[in-house]
Amino acid sequence: MPNAGHVARREYLVRVRSRTFRITTLLLAVAVLVFTLLPTLLRGAGVTGDPPQIALDVQADDLASDPVAAIRDALAAGGGAAGPLVTRTEDPSEAADAVRDGSLDGLLTISRGADGDLAFEYLSSQGPASVERLLVTQAATSLAVSDRLADAGIDSAQSAVLFRPPAFVSTSADPDAPDDDRYGEALVVAYFLVILTFMAIITYGNWVAQSVAEEKSNRVMELLITAATPQQLLTGKVLGTGAAGLTQYAAIIAAVAVGMIANGPVSNLLGLRGEAAFRLPSLELWMLPAFAVFFTLGFVLYSTLYAASGSMVSRIEDVQQAAGPLIFVSIAGYFVSFTALNDPDAGWVALLSLVPFFSPYLMPMRMLLTSVSAPEILVALGILVVTLVAAIWLASRIYSAGVLMYGQRVGVRTLLRAARVSR
Amino acid sequence: MSLVVDRVSKRFGSVVALDDASFSVEAGAIFGLLGANGAGKTTCMRIVLDILRPDSGSVTWNGQSNTALPRRTWGYLPEERGLYPKMRVEEQLRFLASLYGVSDADARREITDWLERFRIPDYRNRKVEELSKGNQQKIQFIAAILHDPDILIMDEPFSGLDPLNVRLLKEAFLAMRERGKTLIFSTHQMETVEELCEAIAIIDRGRVVLHGLVRDVKRAMGRRVVRLATDGDGAFLAELEKLDALRGLTVGARRADFVELQLPADLDPETILRAALERGQRITRFEIAEPSLEEIFVEHVGRRAIDEDEGHLAASVSVGGTK
Repeated sequence: MPNAGHVARREYLVRVRSRTFRITTLLLAVAVLVFTLLPTLLRGAGVTGDPPQIALDVQADDLASDPVAAIRDALAAGGGAAGPLVTRTEDPSEAADAVRDGSLDGLLTISRGADGDLAFEYLSSQGPASVERLLVTQAATSLAVSDRLADAGIDSAQSAVLFRPPAFVSTSADPDAPDDDRYGEALVVAYFLVILTFMAIITYGNWVAQSVAEEKSNRVMELLITAATPQQLLTGKVLGTGAAGLTQYAAIIAAVAVGMIANGPVSNLLGLRGEAAFRLPSLELWMLPAFAVFFTLGFVLYSTLYAASGSMVSRIEDVQQAAGPLIFVSIAGYFVSFTALNDPDAGWVALLSLVPFFSPYLMPMRMLLTSVSAPEILVALGILVVTLVAAIWLASRIYSAGVLMYGQRVGVRTLLRAARVSR
Repeated sequence: MSLVVDRVSKRFGSVVALDDASFSVEAGAIFGLLGANGAGKTTCMRIVLDILRPDSGSVTWNGQSNTALPRRTWGYLPEERGLYPKMRVEEQLRFLASLYGVSDADARREITDWLERFRIPDYRNRKVEELSKGNQQKIQFIAAILHDPDILIMDEPFSGLDPLNVRLLKEAFLAMRERGKTLIFSTHQMETVEELCEAIAIIDRGRVVLHGLVRDVKRAMGRRVVRLATDGDGAFLAELEKLDALRGLTVGARRADFVELQLPADLDPETILRAALERGQRITRFEIAEPSLEEIFVEHVGRRAIDEDEGHLAASVSVGGTK
């Protein structure tokens, strides 16, 4: 099919040479680079990493353990750049003012209630969902518990023993599942894959539809359809646009890589303490081509149908409407994947990962987060390929009938009737 | 060696675009496909090109079905001109030629040749959207013939061209015929048909109402035309129509400088000359001719088609001289 190659080549060159493409690619790459470096830069600029400053107004002076140490340890355990500053204050109203003007993060008042139990009041400059509030609450709880224990005649050394966590080792029965300490990283990569797939389908699929509608609206279509078969035009269009999309992706991924590599030198330059770099999860090498296959087939499946929907309209403005059902399905796949990320082992996830329009999202994710048997992957792949072949057949039918129809949006029934007799 | 359209029918929903249409085109001929707008010419062309499939009937070229012929057999100039507006002329033509399997070297050579022939060699690296309509149309014509097709099908190739460009395009037609190509085109300009075409088919509401060699078609009309001009006001013409000796005579199209009289086959044109002289007219022009294609067209398609199509036809055919 040299014609598909010619069409793809033209599509690619026109797309890549266009001003819009260059500008958006550049902007995306710069944006991604900035976002990758942003945490480091912000820390360098001192925006985050301010140690939390909390004042304690201790009205109960018969506490069994030191409240300052307890709060400080709790906050330090929550992470953060530098050691938290926890001090006792003798002037609660001045401290409260400091909290209100933001120079202090919080004021914790510890008093003894009428029932003899400890009571806490916390005035905070942070939002209700802040980590610092949560940590202070936890610390307060343990203070109260050790106070009750002291009441019951158990001293602080004994209560420390009571609160010591036991030895606990958890191992997954599934040897292929990612280690617990690497699960977070696998999850990040899974997120990344889902977003990558979704963006490709939504953006580049739309490019395909736009480009078909454009050829129709400027009437060059009639020349093309005389020179080449609908299948050749369709294939060329999808491949050319896909290649242009991959070029943009390559630029973005290169920017991410540059950002991740630059993070070390930049934080050294800013005199920041080095932090553990992001590590890639323990992938098995065969997974990479598998991801590529699912990504490619998924993209081709969607964009083939996008091309068909583009051929149904006469004006570029109508493309969105014609592609509506497709956009709906791709967004559905995206949301389903995000729900699935919380519970990748669920039965419905396994089931949906075989369904053609969802498998490009779900199967790579499952491969990363749980163990999937080879036959399962092959079945998903087989169903995807069969669907793709059917989609190409249907799309080229719709395409060859649609491209010569002008005027109102072509109804499905007219289209099917026309498709029956088209070549 | 010929293109045969055999009993082709095509419906779009409730609209019958082509109804049992048959005609044939000899290889190497220039063939005119005539008809009012919406008569089915474009559908007919698309079916011949196999970009539409007929509901019934067949199209063959030298006995071979058009569905089996390679794409490069055909060159097509669609009625709705369309090129990529943002692409440069040469790049665009090379792309379109590549779809027909033309080598890049051949394409470049032909492009140079044709751009010079059309006197626009400087536009080679211009974007198409920067070109005038007429020049875009020339590029479109080049796009249709770069791959050296055997049959060239053109939908309204002359519409929108100035007289100079019409001339250039006619020359290109003749050059293609020299190369042994078969040309089929539709037009509303009957003078052009008379000038270029050996044979025609007239399509009306999807049916082929007339087809054959132009010469035969004219003879088959069974009447002739006298073009008469006098230096008087022509008031005597009304009297002529009433004469017994001139029964069957009709005074037809009144042109700027002459009047067309149509007479049945059995009427001797000299009778008219004599009658006019008897009425003391000074004859400045007396010409016996066959009916023009315009009249034949009007007779077969009817005034209806022309009235519906005033805008299109008025420019090219001064219908009936009634202005």
